[in-house]
Amino acid sequence: MNRTSTLYHDRRHRRWNERSRTFISAILALILLASIGIGSWLLGSSGLSVQLENRNLAPSFLHLFGTDWLGRDMLSRTVKGLWLSIRVGLLGAACSVIIAAAMGLMAATLGQTADRIISWLIDVFLSVPHLVMLILIAFVCGGGLKGIAIGIMLTHWPSLARIIRAEALQLMSTDYVLVARKLGSSRFTIAMRHLAPHLLPQLLVGLLVLFPHAVLHEAAITFLGLGMSPHQPAIGIILSESMRYLSTGMWWLAVFPGLGLLLTVRAFDKLGNHLRQLVDPRHTHL
Amino acid sequence: MGKRFVGIIYAALILIIAAGCSTTKPDISTTKSDSLIVAIGSEPDTGFDPTKGWGRYGSPLFQSTLLKRDDDLKIEGDLATSYEVSEDGKTWTVKLRSDVTFSDGERLTSEDVKFTFDTSASNGSAIDLTNLASVSAGPDEVVFQLKEPQSTFIYYLITTGIVPKHAYSATYAEQPIGSGPFTFVQWDRGQQLIVEANETYYGSKPSFKKLTFLFLNEDAAFAAAKAGSVDVAYIPSAFSKQQVAGMRLEAVKSVDNRGIAFPYVSTGGQTDKGYPIGNDVTADKAIRLAINTVIDREKLVEGVLEGHGSPAYTANDGLPWWNEDTKFPDHDAKAAATILQAGGWSDSDKDGVVEKDGLKAEFTLLYPAGDVTRQSLALAASEMVKEAGIQINVEGKSWDELETLMHANAVMLGWGSHDPLEMYNLYSSDFGGVDYYNTGYYSNPAVDEWFEKALNARTEEEAIGFWTKAQWDGQTGLSAKGDAPWAWLVNIDHLYLVKDGLDIGKQRIQPHGHGWPVTDNIASWSWK
Repeated sequence: MNRTSTLYHDRRHRRWNERSRTFISAILALILLASIGIGSWLLGSSGLSVQLENRNLAPSFLHLFGTDWLGRDMLSRTVKGLWLSIRVGLLGAACSVIIAAAMGLMAATLGQTADRIISWLIDVFLSVPHLVMLILIAFVCGGGLKGIAIGIMLTHWPSLARIIRAEALQLMSTDYVLVARKLGSSRFTIAMRHLAPHLLPQLLVGLLVLFPHAVLHEAAITFLGLGMSPHQPAIGIILSESMRYLSTGMWWLAVFPGLGLLLTVRAFDKLGNHLRQLVDPRHTHL
Repeated sequence: MGKRFVGIIYAALILIIAAGCSTTKPDISTTKSDSLIVAIGSEPDTGFDPTKGWGRYGSPLFQSTLLKRDDDLKIEGDLATSYEVSEDGKTWTVKLRSDVTFSDGERLTSEDVKFTFDTSASNGSAIDLTNLASVSAGPDEVVFQLKEPQSTFIYYLITTGIVPKHAYSATYAEQPIGSGPFTFVQWDRGQQLIVEANETYYGSKPSFKKLTFLFLNEDAAFAAAKAGSVDVAYIPSAFSKQQVAGMRLEAVKSVDNRGIAFPYVSTGGQTDKGYPIGNDVTADKAIRLAINTVIDREKLVEGVLEGHGSPAYTANDGLPWWNEDTKFPDHDAKAAATILQAGGWSDSDKDGVVEKDGLKAEFTLLYPAGDVTRQSLALAASEMVKEAGIQINVEGKSWDELETLMHANAVMLGWGSHDPLEMYNLYSSDFGGVDYYNTGYYSNPAVDEWFEKALNARTEEEAIGFWTKAQWDGQTGLSAKGDAPWAWLVNIDHLYLVKDGLDIGKQRIQPHGHGWPVTDNIASWSWK
């Protein structure tokens, strides 16, 4: 690093270093997550019921986010929708990470043929736009939450798998792994005992970067109507329904759920990026 | 210096973009041209062949029919000058006009009529002519021989457009020729249909030379109306609150109804395809009656349809064969509670839902996922019945899924036709599980008997007497006063945005029909 960039870096971040910023964003993201989770639990299902006498109300103290054309409280719907998206996103991202870890380790330890096959698979998956793939898988699985979750699991692993594979291959040529191989440790033992612990930080970063991505995709799929029943609160469904009423001036139908989605995604994206900087400053792309 | 230069370039760019926007503004002209552009309905998938179902809703445009209905739904002659039914009700003799030609110049003869009905019968898909034994063509006269007397046969004479025998081929549906008020010009699948006035039409000639039908979805139709690029647009009630410059809103009464079809039998059965039949909760008459009684239909009209509709009590409110005794006071939680109590339902575990012999009053109501109105009605209705202690779980499904589930779950369906045969199809035990008709397998021998009599009647008037009896005869019936196999909720007004100055005539009570029914009197539309 040369002098000027260090100076620039210092001036911009003189107050907090990377660690404290990561810590702060982690706290903020956790607070957001907890408030959505607890809010969803506290609000119950009463706000989701139809109240025809309270239709199309603009935001007020009684209904902070307003109500929709059936008198359903938009705050309840937004929070429930976000919570649903978060759960699906978390499940999808976690499973993606597991698949990516398995693939990466297999490519590194099972020899050249396995490596070629897995690399080819990664290339194939990366060459197809993954939203298209996701729609296809969700459709084949019969839609619903299950379809979306499986779709996200099966489409988000390749980029992370590639990184894991590269790291693992690097580790394979380190002395301690070479010694372990010479001593006759099995491939499985090497993968689990000698490689996996070193890859954990990468996997954690992968999870945090994939998670907001998965949430966005859940919203996209439900927006397109491939998800569940159109009256269930999912953030994509809420947004697509609001399109119809935007021209009638009911801006609150889209603004609050949209902001909520944006905030959630941004918070975790930020956290993921900070953590990546911290764990592995050399890699800037995932 | 550099910054200022960039600023100037930005300013210039913004000016250019703004100028570009202002020039693309649509030109809203109010000139009274002799052509119309309308966005009123969905595209007929099978094309414009009456023998395959074209013209069931609205005017067949290109073809003309033997009989037609006037604005008061009275039957009058079109191609036919008169018709006669024999004593035994099996022979129908129809006399034809002799001065009618097809748009290609050939004369329309009784042979063409025979050909049309023979073809329809052999197609067998859209039009049920299984009761037709034979058609014979005489000079300006057609004789229909029926296997059984059937008073509803007259509706086939009203809805079936006559096709030319000499010009009928496999591609007829895409290039129709007929004797109707309009001739075919062009059909771009998925986009538009263009028709011109038929110069040789025998009736009163339409005042527009050219009509363009745009096939737009509801949102796009509304956008087109706002942009001033269509003269008539069919819109959903969600848009009815907005004013559109230069257009007025016409709300047309309809029998386009929505209601809940209940499974009428207990669980255990299976269809030929293996789909389950029956539901123990809805098979209980007290449950069906209580739901009918507790629902506030006026509120549904106000809340879901923005006031553009009316409460529905049967599938045929306001039509000549409607039995007005089927109306009843709804939104009565007390009466519903009494009905449930008398039926043996009570809330013994105090969870807000009534039970009977350990069975909870809870069932699933399905609606087609793409339909916002049905979704809203389903959600609102399920909320209303909670007051009576009945729990309805609402689920949206695709039509394909609905077909597998609709015999064992309640479904939000819609009907409404200018033909009492629909009542027969919906409630007759012969139609249990046929298509979307009697999904709940309703059957009542007394009702079937009235149907039998109505079908065997010789005249429409005589038949109407029996049709009304089938709904409620003082003892039993298919309406909510009797067995209540349905809970009808609302009739939906059809909403059209019509350009100021355009007169679309007196609109009749419209049937279910995706916007097309407005074309029924399209030949009489004009500028005021």
